[in-house]
Amino acid sequence: MKAQRASLWFLGTVFLLSAVHARGLRRCLIAMDMRHIGESFQQIKGTIQAKDTFPNVTILSTSGTLHSIKPLDVCCVTKNLLAFYVDRVFKDHQELSPQILRKISSIANSFLYMQKVLQQCQEQRLCHCGQEAANATRIIHDNYNQLEVRSAALKSLGELDVFLAWIDKNHQGTPAA
Amino acid sequence: MFQVKLSLPNTDPHEDSRRNLDKSYHVAFLHLDSMFAHREYESLYMSHIWIPSSRCSPTTVPECDVTDDITATVPYNLRVRAILGSQTSAWSILKPPFNRNSTILTPPGMEVTKDGFHLVVKLEDLGPQFEFLVAYWRREPGAKEHVKIVRSRGVPVHLETMEPAAVYCVKAQTFVKAIGRHSTFSQAECVKVQEETLPLALALFAFVGFMLILVVVPLSIWKTGRLLRYSCCPVVVLPDTLKITNSPQKLISCRREDVEACATTVLSSEELFRT
Repeated sequence: MKAQRASLWFLGTVFLLSAVHARGLRRCLIAMDMRHIGESFQQIKGTIQAKDTFPNVTILSTSGTLHSIKPLDVCCVTKNLLAFYVDRVFKDHQELSPQILRKISSIANSFLYMQKVLQQCQEQRLCHCGQEAANATRIIHDNYNQLEVRSAALKSLGELDVFLAWIDKNHQGTPAA
Repeated sequence: MFQVKLSLPNTDPHEDSRRNLDKSYHVAFLHLDSMFAHREYESLYMSHIWIPSSRCSPTTVPECDVTDDITATVPYNLRVRAILGSQTSAWSILKPPFNRNSTILTPPGMEVTKDGFHLVVKLEDLGPQFEFLVAYWRREPGAKEHVKIVRSRGVPVHLETMEPAAVYCVKAQTFVKAIGRHSTFSQAECVKVQEETLPLALALFAFVGFMLILVVVPLSIWKTGRLLRYSCCPVVVLPDTLKITNSPQKLISCRREDVEACATTVLSSEELFRT
């Protein structure tokens, strides 16, 4: 009986902590206009994905990497993936078309702003980074390293919709600013 | 929403810019090269990359709408240079860099009208980035203020159905979700709904109409009856000379006397012929 009660208390606490941390991410992204980022990507998606020479390989979606992320790890993984795109993907990608470059720049600068917002959350201890979050991030970096850098950057760019949809899903239900 | 205006050197800002150009450059045409935006990302990671503006690459007017280029809440460097034939000026760079969260929004233009008893507001069209918060209330002590978010631009929006003889006030502010900023509220505009005079006028009109009907209808019926009577069964009016005032026996007696008088008269004529 006592063991059952203790289990229930433990589960309840875990659930409460998960909810608080999940809310943490949502609170962190309150002021973001995600729709604009999605629209910018949709305008270049076809062109980018058409240049992908390794259609059977994925960088973000290995074994449902993102979808297996627990609510507690969402903030940390989001922060890590934003850094992945800002520090590696956008830098490694060579774009000659001014129109596409403009859209990529818009997305890159929006990600910079999101990083700043999440940085504030981390300072308020709302963005905990655990082992599972680190593992998921490492898998994505390993996938990226297995390809030639230009191809890897192009593929990662083409999978932005996966990342944006994942952010949107974890961001759902947040009241408007 | 975001505009860059260039001030040309050696020009009087109050004069027509083209005339000024003629004065300064002795040509009728000034060509401005692309306006480039150097965003924070490029500044941090790719300092050699400047991205041409979507609308002003190139442009011939000294101003540029950079709304589609300023898409993130980060500092933007802008640079522009002039090209005149084969000559190219040095780059002029915006100082300090522009961050869209420094934007100060102004209250929107607003038109408050009443359509019968309906309170209607029409807000100016400021573009797809803008939303409006509209507050309205009945002007009386203790009245509750209602707030409505309006996203339709330039289209009349119904707020409330008003009660007669009441005053309603409306004010609005702009909101841009992309930069998370509000303007201050506009001045409140109030409208009053008139008393319900229509039912009183209607009652009066109905009474007058009823009275008229009470008089006119019987009169009409009577007149029509007379017309019909004269048409179908007219009454003949004899002159006095044809009126028979005596009894029929006396008439017969008088007639016999007349006949005898006529006979006497005939004998007199035969005598005239003998003679």
